[in-house]
Amino acid sequence: MDIRDPGPSAATRGRIVIDDVVKIYDPEGAAVMAVDHCTLDIEAGEICMIVGPSGCGKTTLLNAVAGFHEITSGRILMDGETLCSTEVPRAAPGPDRIVVFQNGALFPWKTNLENVIFGPVMQGRLGRNEAIDKGRAMMADAGLIGIEHNYPGEVSSGVRRRVEIVRALMNDPKVLLLDEPYRALDSLTKSVMHEALLEIYYKNRVTIFFITHDLEEAIFLGHRVAIMTTRPCKPKKVLAVNIPHPRDYGVLTSKRFRELIEETNEAVHEEALKAFQAGEKEG
Amino acid sequence: MEITWNAAAAGDRTAALREAIPFESVSGATLQRIAALARPARYAGGERIYNQGDEADDIYVVVSGRVEHVFGPEISAEQAIKHMGRGGVFGWAGLLLGQTRRFASATALEPTEILRIGTEDLVKTLEIEPLEGSAVMERFATMIQREFTVPALLAKVRRLSGAPLTEEMSSLSLTLYRLSLWLRSPRPYLMLVGFALFLGAWYLAVEVWKVPRFREMPGVTGVVKEWLSPSPTYGLSIYTGEYYQHIAMSVWRVTQAFFLATVLGVPFGLFLGWSRKFKEYVFPIFELIRPIPILAWVPLSIVMFIATESAVIYLAFLASFFATALNTMLGVESIDESYVRAASCLGANRWQVFRHVVVPGALPFIFTGLQISVGVSWFSLVAAEMVSGQYGLGYVIWTSFVMVRYPTIVIGMVTLGVVGYVTSAMVRVAGDYLMEWRVRELALAER
Repeated sequence: MDIRDPGPSAATRGRIVIDDVVKIYDPEGAAVMAVDHCTLDIEAGEICMIVGPSGCGKTTLLNAVAGFHEITSGRILMDGETLCSTEVPRAAPGPDRIVVFQNGALFPWKTNLENVIFGPVMQGRLGRNEAIDKGRAMMADAGLIGIEHNYPGEVSSGVRRRVEIVRALMNDPKVLLLDEPYRALDSLTKSVMHEALLEIYYKNRVTIFFITHDLEEAIFLGHRVAIMTTRPCKPKKVLAVNIPHPRDYGVLTSKRFRELIEETNEAVHEEALKAFQAGEKEG
Repeated sequence: MEITWNAAAAGDRTAALREAIPFESVSGATLQRIAALARPARYAGGERIYNQGDEADDIYVVVSGRVEHVFGPEISAEQAIKHMGRGGVFGWAGLLLGQTRRFASATALEPTEILRIGTEDLVKTLEIEPLEGSAVMERFATMIQREFTVPALLAKVRRLSGAPLTEEMSSLSLTLYRLSLWLRSPRPYLMLVGFALFLGAWYLAVEVWKVPRFREMPGVTGVVKEWLSPSPTYGLSIYTGEYYQHIAMSVWRVTQAFFLATVLGVPFGLFLGWSRKFKEYVFPIFELIRPIPILAWVPLSIVMFIATESAVIYLAFLASFFATALNTMLGVESIDESYVRAASCLGANRWQVFRHVVVPGALPFIFTGLQISVGVSWFSLVAAEMVSGQYGLGYVIWTSFVMVRYPTIVIGMVTLGVVGYVTSAMVRVAGDYLMEWRVRELALAER
């Protein structure tokens, strides 16, 4: 059984190739290397989890894919087309690759529904009324009913995260870039959010590039888990999670899951220790 | 296990109800009605009070002891376990829309005394005063979201018959709700005491003790008499048309200055914050001119504008403009970078980012700026009117000084205080109207 292909509706678009990417901050001055010749091939419709200690440079990688940062050399391709390269160092941000931010970036001055319809309306892809219909339908699909006219500040942070993912999916993106979206949540809410994310994924089949420092989260969600070295960042070990999708929380207690944790724990711990020592030196 | 209590404990149980978040601000009469419904109960340490899935019949308020409250995993509460002591409220599931079953379990952690209130009885009692009742229900909803970290989706409380729908509460009625909360708090009464003390001290210092430095000062009784007199000694009181002409003149000047400062200052500040290049050109000059006191501008403004009227408005405008522009710029700079990034991810172009992120994101700072702006506009107006004016409150104060009409000086000053406060409050109300999202957040935070 092909564990990479959880169902017949698997995606055919959204392949991201990160090819020998280097990112050096302040090349003329302090020259801090954040990403070091990083190569990673993320398949269409895959959930690829990027695990590394805080500050290891994984967000830099995400920002390069999203188009928020320039790269120093190398190239990043999406479905064969160059997003950025040594010649064109910065990708143009766009609705085919949508970021869900660490602290959430729903606009507090817009209601949840206005947030959800923001993308299609701004791009002129849908009229306002069409967008409202689609937004309501997608929110209902994600179990978000009765909060359309509330502001994000009025709902719990777990609900905010779900609204933000719906806002991204409204644009029919090829790739979702998630930057530790559940970091601030407690473990119980986190588990609910994980299942909600998988449910959304099974319906929508987008490529998911998910950054985290939580190994259990990574193995539970991912088709593959890339464990990154700390500053500069590059894949240290890429692990295929051979637990079939669809998954639910029963997986957490399975023997296979524990084995995978054991297999990777040491690599992650080693990097965390390095990051800690590096921090000590700087401090 | 239910027990009966003697009368001595009745006062204490009402006091415990008052400490419960939803009942903190109800009137005494309503609290008594609720207290009359309450049935005391006592639980041993470790005794289960109810289980998840039980019928949600009563609401519980802790009088003493500790209770552990645990949600089932399907409720996406951010914190599933909550401990509470005196004043803690639980068992509110029956107040929620479409809920008849408990979705948490509760256990006494130590010997605990609790008041039980029948949900249906409570709802009926709250319906006696629908407005106050819906405020209580609103506080329940807020408490359930904030204290129990239950998503807003679930924390929808039932609607009382005769009460306005909470979703339909406009920002105006929220403002009114905050006002009614304020009137029920001790704050307005402390404020009155403060006023009384101030006026009393003035009276004693000038008219009773005749403190040397205050010998020439107008006394409080003299000022009030003059102010309210139909035929004032010095020609200015609430019965003379001239008094209102002066007020109208000053208000009209401030309105023009404030309007100009807003129309020019807000866009100017937005561009300062939005375009780095524009800021590099303009900001150094701006920062050099801004600290120049407004009085230093008087001669130049008279040279620039031949007519005194324009010169006075120009001076009031200038101070206002700097306050507005500076705060607007800071507002733009305060916007979290991820909002801008999110908008560009979602396909917004530069102009759309400006319109949908920069402007609304800066709005709280803009309104802070406008409040300061209206204040400094009054400040510089009065200075300008004293130097070169024909009418206006500043003119009144200065001419009264020159002509030794001391009570009229104070009348002018107090009037300025009141009118200035009203204009500033108007700016605040306009801000509340434009920033409903913020008003709602503040109302949730009970500020």
